[in-house]
Amino acid sequence: MKTKGFAKHYYLMLVPGFVWLILFSIVPMFGIVIAFQSYNPGQGVFGSEFVGLETFKYMFTLNDTMNVFYNTIFIAIMKIIGNLIVPLVFALMLNELRYIGLKRSIQTIVYLPHFLSWVILGGVLLDIFAYQGPINQLLGMFGMEPVLFFGRADLFPFLVVGSDIWKEFGFNTIIYLAALTGINPALYEAAGIDGANRLKMLWHVTLPGIRTTAVLLAVLSLGNVLNAGFDQIFNLYNPLVYSTGDIIDTWVYRAGLLNLQYELATAVGLLKSVVGFILISLSYYLAYKFTNYRIF
Amino acid sequence: MLRSKSLSSRMADIVLITILALVALTCILPLWYTLSLSLSSKTAAAAGAVALWPVDFNFDSYKQLLQDSQFFKSFWISIQRVVLGAGLNFIIVPLMAYPLSKTVKDFKGRNVLMWTLIFTMLFNGGLIPLYLTIKGYGLMNSIWALVLVGGAQTIVFNIILTINFFRNLPKSLEEAALVDGAGPWYILFKLYIPLSIPVLATVSLFSIVYHWNEFLYGLIFMTREEFYPLQTYIQQLVVSVDPSTMTEDQYKRMSELSNRTLDAAKIFIAMIPVLLVYPFLQKYFIHGITLGSVKE
Amino acid sequence: MDSKKKLWSILAIIFFFVLAACSNEETTVEEDAEENPPTASEPADPFGKYDETITIAIGQEVDPSDTSLQDGDTPLDNQYTRHVKENLNIEVEHAFTASPSNYDQKVSLAIASNDLPDAMVVGPVELRQMVEADQIADLTEIYENYASPAIKEIIDSSGGVALDNVTFDGKIMAIPNSQAGADGVHNLWIRKDWLDKLGLEPPQTVEELKEVARAFVEEDPDGNGEDDTIGLAGPDTSNKLYANFIESTNNLYGFDGIFSALHSYPGYWLEGEDGNPVYGSILPETKEALSVLRDMYSEGLIDAEMGVREDSGESIISGNTGMFFGPFWMPYGPLTDAVKNNPDANWQSYALPLDANGEYTPHLSTTTTQFVVVRKDYEHPEAAMKILNNLLANESEFDPSIGGPGYYPLRLVYAPADEMEVTTVALREVLAGTKQPEDFYDMPAYKLLKSDVDTIFDVKLEPYDNMDIQYWDIENHLGQWTRAYSALVGTAPLVDTEIKGVKSLIYSQTKTMEDRWVNLKKLEDETFLKIIMGTEPLDAFDQFVEDWKQQGGDTITEEVAEAVN
Repeated sequence: MKTKGFAKHYYLMLVPGFVWLILFSIVPMFGIVIAFQSYNPGQGVFGSEFVGLETFKYMFTLNDTMNVFYNTIFIAIMKIIGNLIVPLVFALMLNELRYIGLKRSIQTIVYLPHFLSWVILGGVLLDIFAYQGPINQLLGMFGMEPVLFFGRADLFPFLVVGSDIWKEFGFNTIIYLAALTGINPALYEAAGIDGANRLKMLWHVTLPGIRTTAVLLAVLSLGNVLNAGFDQIFNLYNPLVYSTGDIIDTWVYRAGLLNLQYELATAVGLLKSVVGFILISLSYYLAYKFTNYRIF
Repeated sequence: MLRSKSLSSRMADIVLITILALVALTCILPLWYTLSLSLSSKTAAAAGAVALWPVDFNFDSYKQLLQDSQFFKSFWISIQRVVLGAGLNFIIVPLMAYPLSKTVKDFKGRNVLMWTLIFTMLFNGGLIPLYLTIKGYGLMNSIWALVLVGGAQTIVFNIILTINFFRNLPKSLEEAALVDGAGPWYILFKLYIPLSIPVLATVSLFSIVYHWNEFLYGLIFMTREEFYPLQTYIQQLVVSVDPSTMTEDQYKRMSELSNRTLDAAKIFIAMIPVLLVYPFLQKYFIHGITLGSVKE
Repeated sequence: MDSKKKLWSILAIIFFFVLAACSNEETTVEEDAEENPPTASEPADPFGKYDETITIAIGQEVDPSDTSLQDGDTPLDNQYTRHVKENLNIEVEHAFTASPSNYDQKVSLAIASNDLPDAMVVGPVELRQMVEADQIADLTEIYENYASPAIKEIIDSSGGVALDNVTFDGKIMAIPNSQAGADGVHNLWIRKDWLDKLGLEPPQTVEELKEVARAFVEEDPDGNGEDDTIGLAGPDTSNKLYANFIESTNNLYGFDGIFSALHSYPGYWLEGEDGNPVYGSILPETKEALSVLRDMYSEGLIDAEMGVREDSGESIISGNTGMFFGPFWMPYGPLTDAVKNNPDANWQSYALPLDANGEYTPHLSTTTTQFVVVRKDYEHPEAAMKILNNLLANESEFDPSIGGPGYYPLRLVYAPADEMEVTTVALREVLAGTKQPEDFYDMPAYKLLKSDVDTIFDVKLEPYDNMDIQYWDIENHLGQWTRAYSALVGTAPLVDTEIKGVKSLIYSQTKTMEDRWVNLKKLEDETFLKIIMGTEPLDAFDQFVEDWKQQGGDTITEEVAEAVN
């Protein structure tokens, strides 16, 4: 193959992007040293005293630390699972629909929330789930007691997960729909001739046809295990649900910027990055091992 | 026999359509709610009396909105940010994805570089060092701070997506071109990019939605409201303030000024542009997002 | 080759981007500050005009909803900044501006990155942080030489507390504000029309308060036939269960009155039985008060949505709430809209409930909550002081209708500690005819008193000694009504009641608090909220006390003891 000498062109292609990333991603990482300092803003990062692992020791004495890590992982994993399954089910249902116009319209409507920011959706959700809001009025019609949805620590993670799935499912549905349209129609015809009904076709033709897509999506989303959604939770939570709803990113934000605990915020952030890096490496190798496919 | 089958099938259709339509309905709710809030009277909104229909229907808030020059300034900044951010993303992503889609055999440095990218995606130094860096570059109050910082944090994911698409392009095309003596630049620009419009449209859409909805960096890097992008501008309107840090006359001014209907009108207008983008990109990204797995 | 050209054009585009970005003007502060000869040689004149224009770059709060500026004025060019320029020859610039909700965040960012404006307004926590980091100028001499007599008088009226709060190692590190002491007392506000309708009296004790709340919830006081009323409002997401020693004022919809009546002062540093400081939140009285609140919540007497609502004022405006605790100025808050919404909503204010001995024992606040600090190397630290002198001396000259007072640079509130009480008494005397408005013209420290006594008859209807809502003319002059109602209804209980108030031993942080307080406070807030709302048993309190002590509380208590002695 005549690809000798291509490498230097490859490097050239990468130059602009890497310059960008070095300037705006790697240079600011000097701040990581704050985690090992007793940071004095007056002296800055380069003048502050180093204290070794002091901050990390303190971090592990705090109940909060384990708690926010647990919350983050719990919420993120539920989101990952939900965001895989719900759109799949929805896509399958939509795929069964034979009125093309209706199919299009529904498909176009359900992606709508994906495009709205949590700044906007947060306020709307809080209103809808309020104590005297529409949802509780609906429950009241069935004779049920109103529920203080966003004030219940036991419900909060599920509301977060549920609203995230609701926001994103339409968008993910599109991915599955595309995979579904890629299935060879001849397979359905053959199944029809064999006398298969709708359910059997679903099981034997449709599902195997989109297996690869599902696996790939699952693997890609593993990188998000420590990203439970800052924007969303930031706009939805309150002190009542800190115990189950506070995630690493919201905690770091409050500690670092609002409460002036720079060292602690940096240390927790660093821990998050390290764990995230391990997880993504793990999923990379697992995906390679099981599907023989390198995701990046 | 045939008839009863189609009857049960029709029943299934009805159930299906009902479920799908209900789900689709919930997706319009936030838009609808915001609209009816924006068309209600100030007092009704302050009392939380607005649910699904406007109370004391009027257009006052939209008339007021027309006089708010800052809203339109911020709107324009957001448009600029989206154009620059998505444009830059569109250029850099294929430039980086192409060499990185090669195997180690073709491009020796590939793995190290790839893992460096993954590293930049996961690690960061925290907000304060980022702020210092941007200030050091002289980018405070510049739209480039928003474009470049936000872009650097989202581009790696887009690159991974594009790498996967590139890898699934038919190998035979590239081989034929190589036989004809084509160089890497020719292959990228004349072969890969034209074939990859779906995935590039997809990552552009991601980029557009991200830049339109992101609010935190506007808050951090802009020292004055006149430089705020739209979501930052909206965020400062909808966030509630802790009165204990205020004096009585600050609170007085604030509550005199509070205007939920006007806020709702602003939010409603802010939702519109990003919803308009989708139909234009829809036909591309259905294919782009499937990572090429369809054809397997 | 074709592709090479493309490479270069792309690289060129990238570098053009970077270049364009780098060449953008940066709004730095330092370069703009002119080199002036030191002012030390001049005689100190609190109102002295500089010979040459100096600039001061400040952090400024700007409310995005404030549309009061007229005729092309901007937050940087308006009647206030022009006044400062003309009178003092000081050019004001903005290092940053931020909305009220984001101002604290901008200040934190400025501190953390050591990228400070020449001067700005900060709170006590930030002040301490900046002193520790050695970022701000020692203003001892500036204060002594440049503070105007009027400001000194007001600051001294706090009995030394204001200066104590800004004195570190014997040095004055910031200029304190001084606000009306009435801000720190949280009255009980009640819908008197509901009381009348149900034939009830204002509740004297916590027990009676429970009964009133029960009646409000169960007996349909608004007469709409629906079960939609709230007995006692609870805090929303931006308020607290009770005011604490750091944020001791203006807590809306908290339970301050109930805690105080049970002699529980959570969030306050008290003198313990052994004479040593002790933290109010860990005392048995607090556990008892929590158990009372817990019962009230479970019986449905307290807003079920407490702690979750974005704004508890909403249900007051809509007429669903019957009682809440809040400072005298609630007419400035939701009450205006509440009355507009329902002209019969007769909100009255009481110094209740009383303790077991029949005394009113609220917690009292510090009168100093905001501070002006000056960057360490700023050449003209006295400029900040002069700007404040200028404000107090000329505040009445400004016209708020062409630009709200918030646009005054470095604005701090200067009000005598007894401002509201004096106003209330004066208004009563004028209404009763025992004094004439002119009798109050010569009290310049009470800035609004003249306009208050002049306009009282515009908004108060006869009989002049009945403060029920139907005897007010709200439509005539809303702004004046708000103020007069805040005085004659909101402040009246403070004038008429003997207040056996409780102060915190300190109102500022100690060293260990900087690192630990946030987490301790979070522990406290969460535990107490959950106990009240019934998601944790009452005995979670005991575990809290243990955790609190262990996670730094004990160390902090020792530090407080040192600070006090």
